[in-house]
Amino acid sequence: MAFLTDQQTLDDLNIFGKRGSEPIYGIFNRTATRHGAALLEEMFRYPLSDAASMNQRSTIFQYFASHGSAFPFQSELFDIAEQYLAVTDERTRLSGEPRKLTSLLGEDNEYKTITKGISALIAILQSLHVFLKGLAADSPYYREKSAIDLLLEEQGLQSLLKEPGKGKLPHEKVVVYDGYLRFRHREIIRRLLQHVYQLDVYMSVGRVAAERGFCFPLALPAEEQRFSMQGIYHPQVKQAVPNSLEITAGSHVLFLTGANMAGKSTFMKTLGIGLFLAHMGFPVPASRMEFSVLDGIYTTINLPDDLGMGASHFYAEVLRVKKVARELGQGRRLFVIFDELFRGTNVKDAYEATIAITNAFAGKTTSVFLISTHIIEAGAVLKEMSGAIRFIFLPTRMDNHTPVYSYTLETGITDDRHGMVIIRNEGILEILKNGLS
Amino acid sequence: MSFIADKQTLEDLNLLGKYKPHSVYGLFNAKVHTTGGERLLEEMFKQPLSDDEEINRRSKTFQYFEHKELTFPFVKDQLDLMEDYLAGGSGGNPLSALSGVLHKKIWSDLFRDEAYGILYAGLLMATGVLITLADVLDKLDEESPYSSQILPLKVILDDRRLVALRAERGGMPLPLRKIAGYDHLLRHVLREEMEQIMRGIYQLDVHIAVGHVARDRGFSYAWALPAKIHTLSAVAVSHPGIYGAVENPVSLTRNSNMLFLTGANMAGKSTFMKSFGIAVYLAHMGFPVAAKEMVFSVRDGIYSSINVPDNLSLGYSHFYAEVLRVKTVAQEVSKGKNLVVIFDELFKGTNVKDAYDATLAVTAAFAEYRNCFFIISTHIVEVGEVLRRTNDNLQFAYLPTVMQGTIPRYTYKMEEGITTDRHGMLIIENEGILEIIQS
Repeated sequence: MAFLTDQQTLDDLNIFGKRGSEPIYGIFNRTATRHGAALLEEMFRYPLSDAASMNQRSTIFQYFASHGSAFPFQSELFDIAEQYLAVTDERTRLSGEPRKLTSLLGEDNEYKTITKGISALIAILQSLHVFLKGLAADSPYYREKSAIDLLLEEQGLQSLLKEPGKGKLPHEKVVVYDGYLRFRHREIIRRLLQHVYQLDVYMSVGRVAAERGFCFPLALPAEEQRFSMQGIYHPQVKQAVPNSLEITAGSHVLFLTGANMAGKSTFMKTLGIGLFLAHMGFPVPASRMEFSVLDGIYTTINLPDDLGMGASHFYAEVLRVKKVARELGQGRRLFVIFDELFRGTNVKDAYEATIAITNAFAGKTTSVFLISTHIIEAGAVLKEMSGAIRFIFLPTRMDNHTPVYSYTLETGITDDRHGMVIIRNEGILEILKNGLS
Repeated sequence: MSFIADKQTLEDLNLLGKYKPHSVYGLFNAKVHTTGGERLLEEMFKQPLSDDEEINRRSKTFQYFEHKELTFPFVKDQLDLMEDYLAGGSGGNPLSALSGVLHKKIWSDLFRDEAYGILYAGLLMATGVLITLADVLDKLDEESPYSSQILPLKVILDDRRLVALRAERGGMPLPLRKIAGYDHLLRHVLREEMEQIMRGIYQLDVHIAVGHVARDRGFSYAWALPAKIHTLSAVAVSHPGIYGAVENPVSLTRNSNMLFLTGANMAGKSTFMKSFGIAVYLAHMGFPVAAKEMVFSVRDGIYSSINVPDNLSLGYSHFYAEVLRVKTVAQEVSKGKNLVVIFDELFKGTNVKDAYDATLAVTAAFAEYRNCFFIISTHIVEVGEVLRRTNDNLQFAYLPTVMQGTIPRYTYKMEEGITTDRHGMLIIENEGILEIIQS
């Protein structure tokens, strides 16, 4: 089953980026080849769904991160090779007949494309061969190495690997190789290139992980219901403050409070991004991470806001909750984020609704919820109602009259009430008082 | 100094904007025929009046037109053509005018040039307009609130030369010499007078249109009083943009200058507040209002906070945006201006306690300004209970909800008191969300 998520979530977490800032995809997009980039995007579009494949992919990234080898191919070769392979019309196939005069004079562009394409593929295959030989037998990449070796064993390709690679290929050889590469062994060549592009992704992601000090999370079976995030931080926030969090069965609802600027949204995105990457088998901006595999992620952080509609913004939030509720009702294990739940309505309705919905979520023991709200009063009530709710907050310290934020999670419910502080800072009551005298 | 209404207020009340759906301007503009009339109407909307006598004078004029039941006797194209014709200008003296016309005539005959045809058509059009105008003015009474405005127009039309032109009605086509003469007369000799005539026509357009809307919609006229009396009341205020809207009374005075409004989300609080704001604004323009028996002391301006947008790009939360809005209003109120202030559900994006504290503190502080009138809506009914004990200058009203089974119905009819109606949970229950989660 595919990993569940939706456009709202991808936008909230800025996975592919629409708002001009660099997307999460962009952090990893350091591939040498265009096809590698496409493959990377595909990985982002379709995260994995079982722990074994996540861990396997992760160990390969880890291997390349620690072995630091550079992509062993000249990247421009791939464009030439792809262009050459794209023409599969039988009529362009070279025959054994003597060459025409124009091609002898070097003016036959078609022929040139063919010879250049063949040379590029020979270079690629030979580099691949050399690279594989240098690979340790116990590397996690070994399984793919064996697959490639098997493909290379093909008789026709063996002769290509033995080409000295210097000087011009004689015409007879060009004719034979063209037949191998474009026609007889086309499928094998495609698969080999695919492996190379995959290698490109492994290496570039590994390099990013090494450079930025990302960790390689360990995927646990879903039943374990354990999430351990050490030193997790937002990869796009400069000097982001790392936070640590353990989530276990029986305390699967996180109730987050804190002042407006205290970093609630950033923390929520941090967890969302971390878990999203982890489910792709990708390295995560954290120092250590273990997680039980989930069926999907749904976030509601920047719900499109149509304030002119008044009451219906609340309704939009209600519908969003309903959508998540439906997925939960089908027994899915989800990671659910709601930022400032029910901010679209008056405080009293928001208070009641937050309590009711949060408490209902607490009954869904196989999913994990992260809910932030400015209605801190709801927390005290929820504390009485359910033991499954963990209360965390991001504190604000007042330095004279300027708020200072630590961005470090603490346990409990914030008692920071800045509404009145802001009103006092703006001097509204004094303005009105002075006007009367 | 003219009546103040800032951008936020104009947006909240949806007052301006030709192309904005359901704008109040659009409501009246729909009956205006000419571009000049539209411009004039827009000017009136942008500059409400601040003098009670002037307001009453204008509203009497509209009232007069409403009863006269005139239809605007011109077609837009006719007037546009006349404008173009007058803008063309003619020769500085009769002789050069004649030679100009002659020149055009010859070119027209020889080369099928259009200039002469256009000139002749323009002159005919202008003559027609002047004849129609004279007829319309004759239908208006000698003694009316509008007479001071039509008198100068009549004087112009009674000019011996224009009388002669109007008399040519049956005698077309005219000889070339006469055409040149009249052309010179309209476009040179009486140039300024003709501009005055055009302005008069546009004014007529607006007055007929406003009277028309008032008659169609059953609007009435508010009576303006001097500021120092400090009163604002109406028997039946409704929203002009809604047909068959429910009417509610309002009465604010120095001793009872704040209305504390409660009610559920959909019960019609915002609509009532907007209706009230629009009536106040239109009344200050001397326009007919969607209210009955409205009497008001002239105010210096109106401020509302109904749909304050957050500005996330500036890092403003919704809460902070509201605080800044309240601050702006506080600054204006504290300057001693006589204002009308509308606050709809303040302080949403904060916790319950802060919302309570802030609403109470801010409301109580504003209420002391007896020279200003306030309508404040909130869901925090406890604030009302406290204010009821501490202040004697508040009135309490609510918009009720009647439950039919689990479906809420709204009467939109204000009642006295405070209600605790809220339906946030009801909406969640009606969507069956809790059941879906628990299933």
